Amino acid sequence: MRRKASLVLLAFAVFCAAMSPLMRWYAFPRLAKIPPSQYQEAVLEAKNPTLIDYGTMKAKKVPMVTIVQTLKGNVEASEKIEKSADRDVVVWDALSYVQDAEGKMVSKIPERYIFDAHSQEPVHATGEMVDGDPVKREGIEFKWPFLTEKRDYEYFDAQARITRPIHYKGTQDFRGVKVYYFEQTIPWTKVPFPRTMPVKDITPESLAKTGTTRWYTTIRKFWVDPTTGAPVYGEEIQRNELRGGTLLGDRDKVTVFAGHVKMREDYIQSTVDLVKSQRVLVLLLTSYLPWGFLVLGALLLALSLWLEARSRRPGDPAPSAAKDPEPEPVKA
Amino acid sequence: MRALIAAATGLAVALALVLTITAVGAPSGETSPKPLLTTVPKHP
Repeated sequence: MRRKASLVLLAFAVFCAAMSPLMRWYAFPRLAKIPPSQYQEAVLEAKNPTLIDYGTMKAKKVPMVTIVQTLKGNVEASEKIEKSADRDVVVWDALSYVQDAEGKMVSKIPERYIFDAHSQEPVHATGEMVDGDPVKREGIEFKWPFLTEKRDYEYFDAQARITRPIHYKGTQDFRGVKVYYFEQTIPWTKVPFPRTMPVKDITPESLAKTGTTRWYTTIRKFWVDPTTGAPVYGEEIQRNELRGGTLLGDRDKVTVFAGHVKMREDYIQSTVDLVKSQRVLVLLLTSYLPWGFLVLGALLLALSLWLEARSRRPGDPAPSAAKDPEPEPVKA
Repeated sequence: MRALIAAATGLAVALALVLTITAVGAPSGETSPKPLLTTVPKHP
């Protein structure tokens, strides 16, 4: 009986010992994925920024500018791309909608971001764009990979359509969550005009004819939960200028926007709550289950060996000899 | 020999379980009917 029990325990011990690395290195990369149907919104605000008035072409201080950022997973598009990409792909249709304190549209920039559901590596496919311009992203955007490392990453800047390093600047505590702080500086760069301008008569083409160009610089800050790779908070110190051309008259440049953009308080709280709930699922696959299985496997193995040793104790009758009866001769 | 068979059984069950779970995966779901926002939402 003891021998049978020790064999069963041994089977369970091997099962647990095998499950530990399988969960961490086989199941985790295949199960931890951004769902293709994800829908997420965030509201960011810039208080007292400088904003251009396209009517007078002069910059002025305004009470508030609000940025509404929506990410919407396009399941049909991701399934179509997955057929040729041979991996799980997420397609995010995004919109950054900017409005002033009176609710008037300042700009709206649509994007399509296509990436690997687990690694966040960009996937290049037809439809990848920023504001209607086809792009070929390098690096990450919006989200870091699962199990973010303490190192610099390449981050895509949608305004400038360029990829630059975003630097790891240290570990911090953000509202009870251990986060990695990243910062990226995009130096003054010439960028295209948005396709949708706030004034009907002004178009990117009409602006280009005047010889005026648009320039942009930003300092981008992200506080990222390293387990899920999700930013729990973000800020941006951004400046936009129009430079040169006949449109500005005798002026060299005019500020289009200058302000410090921060996530709205209620969205910070909801993002922190969401990240806290999601990180448990990732930790389950990367830590809780692998370590749990390993410890359980070791315990079961020890118990199995102990039972086996007891069953072989000197002086104990051999189990087979004691229980197997002598065969009786068959009588015809 | 019986110990080897027990160990092999444990290993086989672990492999089968993990392969099944990963093969099934999570459902894709459907594209959200919610629009890309052009108004400021009051609360998340």
